[in-house]
Amino acid sequence: MLMMPAHFTPGTRINPLQAGIRFVSAVIGPDLRGGSADTPPQRANSGWIAVLCLTVATALLLVVAGHAAGRRGYEVAPLLFWPGIVLLVAPTSLRIAWPTTARGERVFLLFLLAEALFYCKVVYSPTSFIGHDEFLHWIAADDLMTARRLFLSNPLLPIGPTYPALEIVSTAIVNLTGLPLFVAGTLLLAVLKGTFIGALFLFFESITGSPRIAAIGCLAYMGCSTFVLFESMFSYESLGIVLCVLIFAVEAASKDLVGRERLKALGLIALLLMSLSVTHHLAAFYAAIYLGAVAILEALRRDASMRSEARIAVGFTGTLAIALPILWMEARGNHLAGYLGPIVETGFKTLLGKITGAPNSDQLGAPPQPLAMRLTTLLAILLLALGLATGFFRSLAMAAPSDARTGWRPLQDVLGRRWRDSRLVFLSLLAFGFPISVAFRLTIGGWEIGNRMGTFVFIGVGLVVGVSVVHFWEGRTRRGWRRIAPAVALAVIVLGGVTSAALEPLRGRYRVAADQQSIESMGIETALWTKAWLGAGNRFTSDRINRLLLASYGRQDVRVKIVEGVAPSRVFENETLGPDEFWALVRSDIDFLLVDLRLSTAPPVLGFYFEPWQRRGTPLSGAELLKFNDIKGITRIYDNGWIVIYDVRGLHENL
Amino acid sequence: MRICRKLDLLAACLWAGAAVAAVAVSDSLLIRTALGAPMVFLVSGHTVLRAIGVRTGSALQHFVYAVGASLAAGIAGGFALNAAGSLTPLGWALWFWGVTAAAAPVAACRRDTPDLPAWPAPARVRLWQGAAFMLALLVATGAYALAVRDEAAYREFKYTAFWLLPSASGESGRITVGIRSAETQPQLLDLEITLDGQPFAIFRSLTIAPGESWAREIPVPVLATPQKADARLYRPEDNRLYRSVSTLVPRI
Repeated sequence: MLMMPAHFTPGTRINPLQAGIRFVSAVIGPDLRGGSADTPPQRANSGWIAVLCLTVATALLLVVAGHAAGRRGYEVAPLLFWPGIVLLVAPTSLRIAWPTTARGERVFLLFLLAEALFYCKVVYSPTSFIGHDEFLHWIAADDLMTARRLFLSNPLLPIGPTYPALEIVSTAIVNLTGLPLFVAGTLLLAVLKGTFIGALFLFFESITGSPRIAAIGCLAYMGCSTFVLFESMFSYESLGIVLCVLIFAVEAASKDLVGRERLKALGLIALLLMSLSVTHHLAAFYAAIYLGAVAILEALRRDASMRSEARIAVGFTGTLAIALPILWMEARGNHLAGYLGPIVETGFKTLLGKITGAPNSDQLGAPPQPLAMRLTTLLAILLLALGLATGFFRSLAMAAPSDARTGWRPLQDVLGRRWRDSRLVFLSLLAFGFPISVAFRLTIGGWEIGNRMGTFVFIGVGLVVGVSVVHFWEGRTRRGWRRIAPAVALAVIVLGGVTSAALEPLRGRYRVAADQQSIESMGIETALWTKAWLGAGNRFTSDRINRLLLASYGRQDVRVKIVEGVAPSRVFENETLGPDEFWALVRSDIDFLLVDLRLSTAPPVLGFYFEPWQRRGTPLSGAELLKFNDIKGITRIYDNGWIVIYDVRGLHENL
Repeated sequence: MRICRKLDLLAACLWAGAAVAAVAVSDSLLIRTALGAPMVFLVSGHTVLRAIGVRTGSALQHFVYAVGASLAAGIAGGFALNAAGSLTPLGWALWFWGVTAAAAPVAACRRDTPDLPAWPAPARVRLWQGAAFMLALLVATGAYALAVRDEAAYREFKYTAFWLLPSASGESGRITVGIRSAETQPQLLDLEITLDGQPFAIFRSLTIAPGESWAREIPVPVLATPQKADARLYRPEDNRLYRSVSTLVPRI
């Protein structure tokens, strides 16, 4: 039963409308007296830790078995994999969210859960990188190790050379240890995962003063669609978001420092901000938004007791967070608009089209997911929405001065610009981004914006849900369902993070144009063959997947254009090579075309074979792909039954 | 109880020196990883943190900040070494040693360097708990090993690759023909090569075992005009064309 004021007790005659308003007010209102945030300090329970370690290990074994069965297309695969995931997430989440768990135990279990989820990502492909973005950074890191120079061009990720920090750190590990790049990268990502969770916990703990809210906030963050996979990839965002949250943690911990101590903290923040500026554009943007907003809120804040020194420090940090990425972009030439601009434009157009019901706003449907996965994601979103509804005003109330925590008075104070902590105010408002990010994720064009937004927005969501669970759902008594239900809900939210992380987190058989589900040994061996028999650095073009394999395993110079204005899709699609495409090939410097006949077996899972903006709902035909057989000057030098390589160098001799 | 001595700084310097020595003289992955990885992730950042004088309230906070500072030191090192043209193993080892050796004296000499935070009290671990923990580690490691083995062993597509290239060694007047089997059974194949439509070479009853490759360089006449070489692979069991490839023989 929810906590209700005394006047709701039986026998009291009240107006139903008033009762309804009071009920809603009691549910969403800013009452913080529902429960004291933390239990008295106690020791970590080694017994629970041992049992949970063993449970997690068993779960990981099931996950590995699930992947092995999935590779072979066995129907039993989901019956191994998903129970493994549930066994991994549920008991650990329950224990972390349990009201009486000690701080040290919560922290240990958060690390355990985060690293175990990372393990699940790694065992999907335990010997090599497999994600699309991972290939892009792997190629860049390989180039850096070969040439021993920074800022080498990367045709598959033109903005990549401007943000080389991930490649720098990973190649530093390779150089110092002698480990292969995959192992060094995986080690780096494992450390980053732990650091992220540690920093997020410290950040929440600094601003709320409660390890319990901090731990629950971290659990809620794991419900973000980017936590399990996207932020665990060998990609610059994985490093960027860690530096970003670390900066937030250092800044929040320094909020009460004065004099030289504050200056020292500023020194560390400046160092981290400089690193972030050269690491990842969006993460630097998140830091600029957060620190800039905190600086503005501090300037707006009415608090006679607030020292001008503190305002100056926050203002300086905000200015630095905004200025450094801009300076770096200017120094390197601003490619960001060209890179992110089309994504943002398409996303907004598609969302607006969806809202206004414009035709053709999102022609092709989203790739299908199993029903159970979709239901889990939906349930997690609903639970998060419930947490936000019941936690938003409470989070704002936490920011109010401590002497004014009754009824709606704290919110009046906040509206009157009297608050204790601008960070709490901003993060509470930031949580509003959650429904917007979900709306974007409902469209194909806006999916990427929603996904990227989630990374940042979930910091606010984590805080608000943490406050909601501790101050409303668990309440003061913390018995019966009040103990169990919030913990179960949090476990479902974390499971939602797994189900929304990828179309199919379980390894399966080859699928056409499905990014990591399209990477398998035949494609890899063909790319390796090109390196062994043709040498590295030949100019190749192909579909999106084989381009990645050729550039990484094959070390080939892959091209995303035949010549300026002619995309590879124009050459590969259509049953005959039109004069424009033929002459484009003749004029180009392309040496080889790689044709994957598997593309003719099914429509592209992600909706495109070549580039995301070239969407297509039907499969390519064999005639389209094999039309090069009969063109004079083109020879078919390699054929393995599925993959064919054409040598087009003979065409250039016709010029 | 807080650790107030500065022995950690001396240990960090020694560690950095040992890492340089390991990179300079050793090829052992184990030694270099044991000494090098902590330099990238922790040791350099720890000394930088101490040099700046940031006070940390808990071991967790100190470790997290130290990792962040280490990453920052590593990123800065990338730019510095790039400018110096020294993005080499020894360059990296010297960079981290330099950061540690420069930061440690600053931290040691300043008066207001904060003490290290107290370590959390060690939890009492019973025998069964320790055994469960070790078993968990073993199961997780074993599962990973199984995943690696399974990835290497399983192939979804069984195929025979066939190729014909102008010349693998770069010599004119030669073509290279090759077959590689990624099937599950040995393959018996016949190979025919034609030059501008005229029969040129035949290889009968080639047996290619799974995982095996077969390749030959074949001398061909070089003419003033390019010739087209075609190679066809047949399976004697059904005498049907199985694969077909072609290449141009460069002219003189």
